[in-house]
Amino acid sequence: MSLLEVAGLTAGYGPARVLHGLDLTVEAGEVVVVLGANGAGKTTTMRALSGLIPHTGTIVFDGEPLDGLGPDAVVARGVSLVPQGRGTFSHLTVLDNLRVGAALRRDKAGIRDDIDRWCEVFPILAKRSKQEAGTLSGGEQQMLAVARALMSRPKLLLCDEPSLGLAPRIVSELFAILGDINREQGTALLLVEQNADLALDLASRVYLLEVGRVVAEGEAERFREDESIRRAYLGL
Amino acid sequence: MDIFLERLFDGVTNGAVYAIMAMALVVVFRGTGTINFAQGEMALFTTYIAWWLTVQGQPVWVAAIIASAVGFVLGAVTERTLIRPIRKRNDMATLIVALGLFTGFNALAGLIWNSENKNMPSLFPAGQDDYATVGGARLYFDALGVWLVVILLIGAVFFLFNRTRIGLHMRAVADNPESAALTGVKTGRILMLGWGLAGIIGSFAGVLIAPLSSQQLGLTTMFPILIYASAAALFGGLDSPVGAVVGGLAIGLLEAMITGYVDFVGGTLPQTAALVIIVFILLFKPTGLFGTRQMERL
Repeated sequence: MSLLEVAGLTAGYGPARVLHGLDLTVEAGEVVVVLGANGAGKTTTMRALSGLIPHTGTIVFDGEPLDGLGPDAVVARGVSLVPQGRGTFSHLTVLDNLRVGAALRRDKAGIRDDIDRWCEVFPILAKRSKQEAGTLSGGEQQMLAVARALMSRPKLLLCDEPSLGLAPRIVSELFAILGDINREQGTALLLVEQNADLALDLASRVYLLEVGRVVAEGEAERFREDESIRRAYLGL
Repeated sequence: MDIFLERLFDGVTNGAVYAIMAMALVVVFRGTGTINFAQGEMALFTTYIAWWLTVQGQPVWVAAIIASAVGFVLGAVTERTLIRPIRKRNDMATLIVALGLFTGFNALAGLIWNSENKNMPSLFPAGQDDYATVGGARLYFDALGVWLVVILLIGAVFFLFNRTRIGLHMRAVADNPESAALTGVKTGRILMLGWGLAGIIGSFAGVLIAPLSSQQLGLTTMFPILIYASAAALFGGLDSPVGAVVGGLAIGLLEAMITGYVDFVGGTLPQTAALVIIVFILLFKPTGLFGTRQMERL
């Protein structure tokens, strides 16, 4: 059984449907990327998966349905979202942001260890630990958002366009770290991206989204190599 | 000099009460995004309960603590049953419900305890001779007691916000409710706690101010307090507890000095002065001195 099994997912905002029956799976420890243009439904997928908006269809995680759960219950099951635009607590210090990330945990020593670990992985967070998150640059805030999401020790990390608005050098640094985390912790990653090239390097499998449906899926390698796919779908 | 000092003491005493009332408004505003105009009348209601308990023979301290517990429940239940269901619609609805609660609690207090003014006993020695002389001015012990309680209360709130897990979660929800929910914080429960906490703080404001008020405990006792506290919260910044304290003291001192030294303001005009202050703050510095969040809908 896969770690995440999504079948016939529909979701939207009010009467406006954005997703029209989406199927998707993520295996334990796998890196999957969902590519698509603006308005394809990438963010809506992430919001539905993390319980921020209601959905129909089924989401099964680790053998248990997530349907009808709110965001606090979903993260308790082991699915953590790095939201688009980072969503850091701008008036809280970097350290407090990380502490809130461990909202569901009670193991004080473990929380301290994890804060130390992520401050080692992202040295900028250690340097800025007493600063309010709002004073950080976009790239630093993205690192903080990832570290905060990891503080709940998720089995699956969802990242909504982590490269958005960041300089290419920062993006490759961030993606390298995401790759490390996946290899070292075995955390499965589900990314949605417009930035196809870097995401394809990181991922093992790819879904291509168009107007709320999966129109193509397969090994990331095939998407990297196949010129016709690249031209048809990725505009590369 | 001594008359100035007495006015100063008066100003600090009233300002301290405005400060904690303003803090109650701030605690709710940070979580809910609207001013709870019913905060004063909720405090009025619990102060009546405290008064009633003293009439039943309870010591005034016991009465104050029971009243604050009732304040907690009143705040929490109000959030859960009246505010949360309509809050998702829009902020205006929350405001209207708060205004409804304002008249509701006032009428309920009148219905239960009639409109006659009551003598609310002070938490502290309040006799004619219970004062110390400072620089030729009389500093009454009950005023000193108010300062003390307010300092303790403010200390407790700051400890809660900055040193405890629940306080951290409250700050997170105030900052970004969606992100807080994504980390696993139960935002609904946090908002309910915030309203409860505001209820406790408000109860203390009522119990402290009623014995000092010229008309004692009556149906209109808390209304001016709410006006001053709103001015104080706006002055300091609606989302800043530090601002609430600074704003409260500033408004209290301003009130004491203006009524003391500006003849034509007299007895009732200071409230108008407070309203003028509110208008000027909204015009020139809508976030207040310490505030951060831009106010959009007020």
